Amino acid sequence: MKQRTLHYSSTRLAVIYAGLCALCVGAVLWMGFLITARGLTREVDRVIAAELDGLKDEYDQGGLARLVATLNRRTDSWGRSGAVYLLVDARNHKVAGNVSGWPLQPRYRDGWVLFDIVARERSGNIDHPVRARIYALDGYRLLVGTDISERRMIATRLRDTTFWGIGFAALLSALIGWWYSRHVAGRVREVAQTCEKIISDDLTQRLPQSGSRNEFDQLAAAVNHMLDRIEQQTCTVRATFNSAAHDLRSPLHRMRVRLESAVSRVPLEHAAHSAVEDTIADLERVQRTLATLLQIAQANTASALRGGEAVDLAELGQELGELYDPEARQRGLTLLVRARGPASVSGNRQLLAQLVANLLENAIKYVPAGGRIGLTVEATPTLASLIVSDNGPGIALTASAAAPRETHGPTRHRWASSAADPPGSGLGLSLVAAVVRMHRGRLALWDNEPGLIVRCDFPSVTAALS
Amino acid sequence: MQILLVEDDVEAAHHVLQGLEQGGYAAELATDGRSGLARALAGLFDLLIIDRMLPYMDGLSIVTSLRQSGKRTPVLMLSALGTVSDRVDGLRAGGDDYLIKPFAFLELLARVEALLRRHALEGAVPPVLRVGDLELNALGRRVTRAGREITLTAKEFQLLEFLMRRAGQVVTRTMLLEAVWNLHFDPQTNLIDVHMSRLRAAVDRGFERPLLHTVRGAGYLVRESAVTAESS
Repeated sequence: MKQRTLHYSSTRLAVIYAGLCALCVGAVLWMGFLITARGLTREVDRVIAAELDGLKDEYDQGGLARLVATLNRRTDSWGRSGAVYLLVDARNHKVAGNVSGWPLQPRYRDGWVLFDIVARERSGNIDHPVRARIYALDGYRLLVGTDISERRMIATRLRDTTFWGIGFAALLSALIGWWYSRHVAGRVREVAQTCEKIISDDLTQRLPQSGSRNEFDQLAAAVNHMLDRIEQQTCTVRATFNSAAHDLRSPLHRMRVRLESAVSRVPLEHAAHSAVEDTIADLERVQRTLATLLQIAQANTASALRGGEAVDLAELGQELGELYDPEARQRGLTLLVRARGPASVSGNRQLLAQLVANLLENAIKYVPAGGRIGLTVEATPTLASLIVSDNGPGIALTASAAAPRETHGPTRHRWASSAADPPGSGLGLSLVAAVVRMHRGRLALWDNEPGLIVRCDFPSVTAALS
Repeated sequence: MQILLVEDDVEAAHHVLQGLEQGGYAAELATDGRSGLARALAGLFDLLIIDRMLPYMDGLSIVTSLRQSGKRTPVLMLSALGTVSDRVDGLRAGGDDYLIKPFAFLELLARVEALLRRHALEGAVPPVLRVGDLELNALGRRVTRAGREITLTAKEFQLLEFLMRRAGQVVTRTMLLEAVWNLHFDPQTNLIDVHMSRLRAAVDRGFERPLLHTVRGAGYLVRESAVTAESS
């Protein structure tokens, strides 16, 4: 799913990049085309205007005869290429020039006249567009223009070249964008996959570095440095837990063997014997609390379970349901187990069993006689869910699964580390939360109106593997 | 029966030694890993009780070295490290059982006895078990008492089979929970007692002489004769 999203992101990035590049290149080429086309037109106009001025001067200086002679000379030999001249009298009879007659369908635009002339060429009669100006001379009209077919051809080629350029630019941009985004997405995917491995199984994994010292390498170096620190701290914390476990359990062990030894060797009077037995019972409570604390601490510091086995929650639910059913009945409760399997999760069977046991023991302890307890296991392709519900006193739902230690009031009362412990420690739910977190699951508590619903969602084996 | 205890906590170790001797075992002490391994390799012991954290050489290394050298002497590991993974590590290294400190001495004795018995009977698993007039056919999944058939649930059958295979021997609640339900934590309720009372109702009700006995502060046992300090 993530891979597909990344792939989608890279495709989208490539499309956006190609689109923007093509737009920019297209704008530049189109501007170039417009400027060139306009420049060509201006050049033609400037030449025509200059020539018209020159012919007017000829007329002013030498009259009609000189103008006619000049026109004849220009049309005969050294006139500019594509030049069109025509001098007509008041009745539109040609006096001089290189076209046969006055244009039949002239079009006027901004002081310019546009018309077509027909030229006889090898391939037949060809229409040539002409752009011209007209000047009135004492009853005569002088037309000076230029055949603009060549200019139009150049403009057309230029336009086609522009379009092709835009097309190529878009294609090239798309290819570069695709390659670049694939490259970027590939690195991001690589980082994401390594991070997943680190989260799910192995804190010794590190992000790969290409050695090019680019931003990705800098990011990888920073993350690796952070992981070094986390690994170091985790090792320190684990060592501390082991030391704490040893240093706390060893004196407890000595106390216990001393007491047991004293009871077995010397006959004690009843009161003293009871005191020793009560002390041993208290020691057991301290031991259980300590064990729970250490288990929670270890679960909280572990990134995730390493090498978890496939555990069928449905089977586990049925077994635990069967284990607790006689006790529930003895207390006048109905324990209903609905566990449809398989609902396999990757994890530690003992810890998951402890989680179910904690939830069931808590419900059995707090739901009054006549009450109902439900243990349900459901499976979807991605999730395996374990739900324990009851119609007991419930808890104050200020309790948050994310921060069970912040729970107050009834929650603290109901959730001791185990049902046998005195209320107030609140470790039971913390242990449940820690085990759920350790299995990359999610814990949610709801009001059953009345009662409590505790739901633990775990990624199923197939989802966890992917 | 010769037992070697490898434990660096000398005071606690002496109390355990005394208890073992009172239980009829000859027990010796090694206070560090190196000397413990050397003495264990000498091969004069029927059982080894090895603490996990020891000077010079830890308990896991001792067990690993023993198994690598071909010694099959049963090992009961003791540890102040009590998480599930610690237990798994201990058993994977070659330990036969794992007990977390602090423990009740009766729990230790029951496990010692179970390990010694298991070792002695290794390979010999009779399909039909008999205690008095109670007969359990493990292959046929059938239980009778005085010829009368007794109907049990699957778990009750497993409980009875486990107890009958250790007839005359104390089995603790934790041992039953581990063996029958494969659960390695203390559920802190009288769960096992409830199951045992149901089993007792099925096996002993209507018969003059009870066979399932509760040993106060320790656990249960199956045997024909009555038990001292029992409450059944």
